[in-house]
Parts: sequence; structure tokens; C-alpha cells
Amino acid sequence: MKLTHLALAIALAFVSTEARAERLVIKGSDTLGAKLVPQLAEQFKAQNPGATFDIAAEGSTTGIAAIIDGTAQIGMASRRAKPAEISAASAKGVNMKPTIVAYDGIAVIVNAANPIKGLTKKQVEQIFTGDITDWSAVGGSSGRISIYTRNTSSGTYSDFKELAMKKRDYAGSSQKMAGNEQIASEVGKNANGIGYVGLAYIKAGGTKVVPIDGQLPTVQSVHAKTYPYARPTFYYTNGEPTGLAKKFLDFTIGPVGQKIVTQVGFVPIQ
Amino acid sequence: MSVLTETAGLQAPRAKSAHRKGRALENVIRLFFGGNAFVAVVVLVLITLFLIREGFGFFGGNLQNLRSYRAAGLEYVDIMRTQAEAHAALSRALSEVRVREARKLAEQGRSLEEMNSALAGFDQFATSFSDAGNNLAGLVSDLGDQAIALKERAATGEPADVAALRSNYPAYEQISAATTVEINALLANPPQLSTPEAQRAFDKVKARMRTSLAEFPAEAQRLREWDPGRPVRWYESITSFLLGKEWITASFWQDWYGVIPLLAGSVMVSVVALTLAVPFGVASAVYISEIATRPEQNLIKPYIEFIAAIPSVVLGFFGIAVLGQAIRALSELPILSWVPFFPLSERLNVFTAGALLALMAVPTIFTLSEDALRNVPRAFKEASYALGANRLQTIARVIVPSSLSGIVSAILLGLGRVIGETMVVLLCAGNRIAIPDFTEGLGAFFQPVHTMTGIIAQEMGEVVQGSIHYRALFMVGLVLFFLTLLINLAAQKISARYRMSIG
Repeated sequence: MKLTHLALAIALAFVSTEARAERLVIKGSDTLGAKLVPQLAEQFKAQNPGATFDIAAEGSTTGIAAIIDGTAQIGMASRRAKPAEISAASAKGVNMKPTIVAYDGIAVIVNAANPIKGLTKKQVEQIFTGDITDWSAVGGSSGRISIYTRNTSSGTYSDFKELAMKKRDYAGSSQKMAGNEQIASEVGKNANGIGYVGLAYIKAGGTKVVPIDGQLPTVQSVHAKTYPYARPTFYYTNGEPTGLAKKFLDFTIGPVGQKIVTQVGFVPIQ
Repeated sequence: MSVLTETAGLQAPRAKSAHRKGRALENVIRLFFGGNAFVAVVVLVLITLFLIREGFGFFGGNLQNLRSYRAAGLEYVDIMRTQAEAHAALSRALSEVRVREARKLAEQGRSLEEMNSALAGFDQFATSFSDAGNNLAGLVSDLGDQAIALKERAATGEPADVAALRSNYPAYEQISAATTVEINALLANPPQLSTPEAQRAFDKVKARMRTSLAEFPAEAQRLREWDPGRPVRWYESITSFLLGKEWITASFWQDWYGVIPLLAGSVMVSVVALTLAVPFGVASAVYISEIATRPEQNLIKPYIEFIAAIPSVVLGFFGIAVLGQAIRALSELPILSWVPFFPLSERLNVFTAGALLALMAVPTIFTLSEDALRNVPRAFKEASYALGANRLQTIARVIVPSSLSGIVSAILLGLGRVIGETMVVLLCAGNRIAIPDFTEGLGAFFQPVHTMTGIIAQEMGEVVQGSIHYRALFMVGLVLFFLTLLINLAAQKISARYRMSIG
């Protein structure tokens, strides 16, 4: 008797979750999809039981293509859609609508004992590509520059090439570190070190952030677009988002979502 | 179940049936062990086949990669780029000369302003020289953009037409001629430096400038003769991997998969590890088997073998947190400033990783060498003593030579362990993908390197499955596999062949 009750309850539970379960498919940029969006999704699920997510982070291009093909409700992108993509979308009757959800910034750090007061964009390019190998060439005290970068397959590795190095290759003398944490600790221990890290890691001991063209990476300078190594990141939707996609987008740009944005190391939109 | 009946059968008084059942039991046991061995062999074969299948796809992809490099004219631009980079390298050499001169002047107690005015002529020279290269650098950058656009277009199936790219040749020739004139004018009237040491360095740079100028016509010749249609042979895909000096991935320009820098890193780390581990391992084995008293043996032997129990990731953290820092602190001591490559700028380098790996190789070398020493027949030792040799003579002349093959194979097995180690080198070798600068002599052993095992661990997690980069990593794995296979084979051969005939 009791067993039948239990079975019935379980069956009911299944039916009810089945009815309430909504699936949100998100595809695109690994900058967003690696850490930020999964964390947002976790928090969102806690508030909206029954929602399920399908997140695939394979690059901005796949995110935009997924919106055009209608295979995802939200496309994550760390760049704006290209004109070719927009025209391809409108040919299919898809209206690409971008919403900025966070800013992504990369800070250049040096050892705290390094006397330099700032670098220009040109100098950063020259240092990381190996055109300049001595600190005295950029106004520091003489010493061979040690370059620390992310490993070659990290998203930030190529983002930095694009933002700061005119897509040139890193110097052969650069050292590939496992993550932000290790870059910060090596730069903190090496008086001639230079590296770049996400904004969440700029408070590591023994390091200091270098102003680029006089600009420090702060929430203000990123918003004012005066800091060069930052860019907006987007959710692309087909027209105005509806249903669960709208709820998730509102959650992302709402106060709770933006708090997570800050924790993960991005710059919030306001 | 059947085993139970077997035992029951064995206890039964009828001997014949017990005998038959005993054979059946034997068969079961044989099947059990044979089956397990068979499964192990099958699994090994499957793994090898999988490695080869995943890896060999690399060559096709790499050939495609090399072909598009030529067809889209990237190769053409790179000829010019070599020249532009040679110029940039000379500019850097000039700034190094300046640093040297400035340091000497500072030692003489000059103030910053005096120094700057003394160096004004040199600065003028260096700036003019650097500016002389700007036009070429600009041209290379423009042509690079064009070539990349061609490559992207070729990827969509359109034929790449490099005629537009080559139409820039007259511009190149003009720039090249103008640069030659400018540099010759500079060289005709070089500034003088006050310290002889800096002047010598400067003279060297000037000589390099002249040779680089003399190479301009050859570069132009190569540009004229460059042919986008020249076929890329199939074996170039293999040689560019096995002999390639560059490992550049995720590049906007061109990916290169050359295993040499990684191989060099692995070999150098192993050399350091063995140099440290062999004396420790072999000497302690000799001590334990020949000299030590029983309580000493009971203390030292398990202790050394216990080192093998330390997880390599723990050793790696120890290397980052303690050893690397200690080595750098040591190199900064004023007493050691006579060492040419001190102070060290990188705490994570070949030596740090090698020293830790030595720690991992010592137990292997120690245990196996000790076995080899113990296997020397007692009669040898007794004969030696009987002839009046003392203990040291016996060890050096009789015991060690007669167990040499065992010791050598112990060392080779230690090498196999070292070269395949991943975690320590990933954390402590510094991960710089470049062949160390051997002109620094022993200093090369204090430079960061990347290793074959390290690169697989670092990049495998993030590459797209089935891509050429993914397959390249499998190829690195295969190279590593064959290397360890060879080492192990050599160890077996040596111990089998050169065993002193005993008895």
C-alpha cells in the first residue's frame, strides 16, 4: 500500500518537473562561457527551480551563427556581429539584437619595485613581441625583461594579441604560465617581470598595475572606453528576448548578476 | 564454483579422479594468468595503435598548413620580415651597448645629465639607425595584412592570387636601397664611446651591420626567385616537425609545430637530473651494499626508497615555493657575482626542474644499482681479499666493474623515469618554448625551457579535438614514447650483453 503511494508520488514529481522544466540553450564565446555564464546559470537555477541550461562555449562566431540558425536562444559574443553576419541574419528574417552584459578588461602588471610610471600602447606591443628586451628602453632601470603570458590555447592569450599586439606573435622568450594566479606570483617575485591578468587578479602581492597611455584599468576608464585593453561582451538574441531567455538576460544585467560579473573578474556595465 | 569442487575432489580418496581434477585446476589457473597477460598485451597494442592513428593524421594537416603558407604568400612576406627583424635585432644590440656604456659611466661617478650629454652622439646614431628600418617594417606589416586576407580567402576555396602581393617588389627594392644609403652614411661617421669595453661591443655591432647590409642583394634575389607554385613535398611535413625549431600555435600569422625546442628542453632537464642523481644514487648503493653496518642499512635504505613515495605535484610546489626562490637568492649573493650568468632573472629554469627530478630518479637508480651490486658472487669478493686487496680496491676494481652493466641499466631506467615526468617540469621548468641560448655556456642550464611532457599536459586540455594542434600533441607523445622505448631497450640490452660471466 505504502509502496504504491510512494511510486505515485515519484511519478507525480516527475510529471510536475517535466511540466515546469524549461530549457535555455546558450552558445558562443569562451570568454563568457568558460566561467561567468555557468556561474550565473547556477545562481539563476537556485532562484528558478526547474530551469535547465545547455551551455556550449566554442567561440563568438559559433554563438552568432547559432542565433542566425535558430539553434540557441542566446548567443554569447566577445565582439560585435560583422556586417556579413548581420546581412546573413536579415536574409533569414532574424533580427540580431546585442545586449552588453559585461566588460572584459586585461591589466598589464609589473613588479612593485619597478620604477616605470606607465607604458604606451606601442611600448606594450614592442615588449610582448620582443622588439624591446630591456627595461631601460622604456624608461626603467636596466634589466632584461621577463615576459609572462597565459598558455597558448587560453582565450586571453589570443585576446591580448588582438587588443595589444596588432595580432603579432609573442616573443620567443615569453614564458607560458598555467593561469592568472601563476603570472601574478611570478611577476611578484621577479623585479624584471611583466605580465597580464584579468581584473580580478590585480591585487596580487608584489605587483602593480601599469597605466597604459596614462589610463589605469578601472570601472570608470573601461566605461569611458579610455582604457585600451577592454571590450564589451554581448548576449545576442533574435529580436527582443522572450520567456526564459528574457528572464536570464534580466538576471544577468540585474544587481545579483552584475555582482557575479564583478566576482568573476569582469567589469560590470554600470 | 568449479574451484570448490576441485578442492573437494582433491580430498577424495580416489587418486585417479583427483589427478584429473588437479589438471583441470591447473588449466583454470593457467587460463586465469594467461588471460590477464593477454588482456594487458591487447590493451597496450590498442593504446599504441590509438596513439599512432591520432598522431599520424598530423602529417596530412601539417602539409596542408605548409602549402597554404606558400600559396598565400606568407612565405614571401616572411623573407622580408627576416630582414626587418635583423634590423630590429641590431637596434636592440645598440641599446645594449648603450646600457653597458652608461653602467661604466655611472661607476665613474657621472651624474645622469653628464651621462646623457656624453651619450648624445650615440643616441643620435641609434635613433637614426632604428628609424632607417621603419619603412621596411611598415611594408612588412602592410603585406602581412594582405597575405592574411589571401590565406582566409584561400581557406574558403577561392584560389589565392599572390600577384598583387608581388607587385610591391619595386617598393621593397626602393626601400632597401634607401636604407642601405642611410646606414652606410651612418657607418661612415660613427660616434666614439669613452670606455674601451663599450667601444669593443659597438665595433662588433657595426661589423654585424655591415654583414647584414651585404646580405640585402641575396634577400632581394630570394624574393625575385620565390615561386608560389613550387610544390611542398610530402616529407617536408615530417622534417618540419622533427627538425622544426619553432613551436608557435594559435597564431594569427602561421602555426609552426617543431619539436626541437621541446626536445631540447626535455634533454637538458634530464642531463641536469642525471648529473645530480647518478653520483648520489650509485654512491649510496655502493655504501649500503658494501660498507654500511646493519643498523645503517636498516635506516638509510627505506629512507631513500621512501623518496619515491612523494607525489610529483608536491615536489613541484616545493620547487616553486622554496627551491626556485633559494637558487635565485643564492645567485644574487655578491660573493658569487663572478659567475658569468649570475644573478639569475628566472627562478623557474632547467636547473630547478632538473634538481627536483634528480630527487625522483635517485630511488630508482639506488635500488636497481644496489640489486646489481648484491648479485656479485661472494667468491669474487673473497678472491680479491685473498689476493691482499683492501676494501676500497675490492670495491673499485672488482665489485663495481663486475656489476657495471646492472648499474648502467639502472641509470638508463632512471633516465626513462625522468624524461617521462610531467608535473615537476610543468610547474618548475619555466615553460619558455625556445631553444636555450647555448652561447651562454653553462648559463643555458639556468634558462627556462618547455618540455615534451609539459606541453602535452598544458595544451591538450584546451585544443579542439581532431585539429592539427591536437594531432601535433599526439605526435609529441609518440616521439616521447619512442624515446623511452629506446632507453628501456638499451637498458635491457646492456644488462643482458655485458653481464660479466659469473661462475
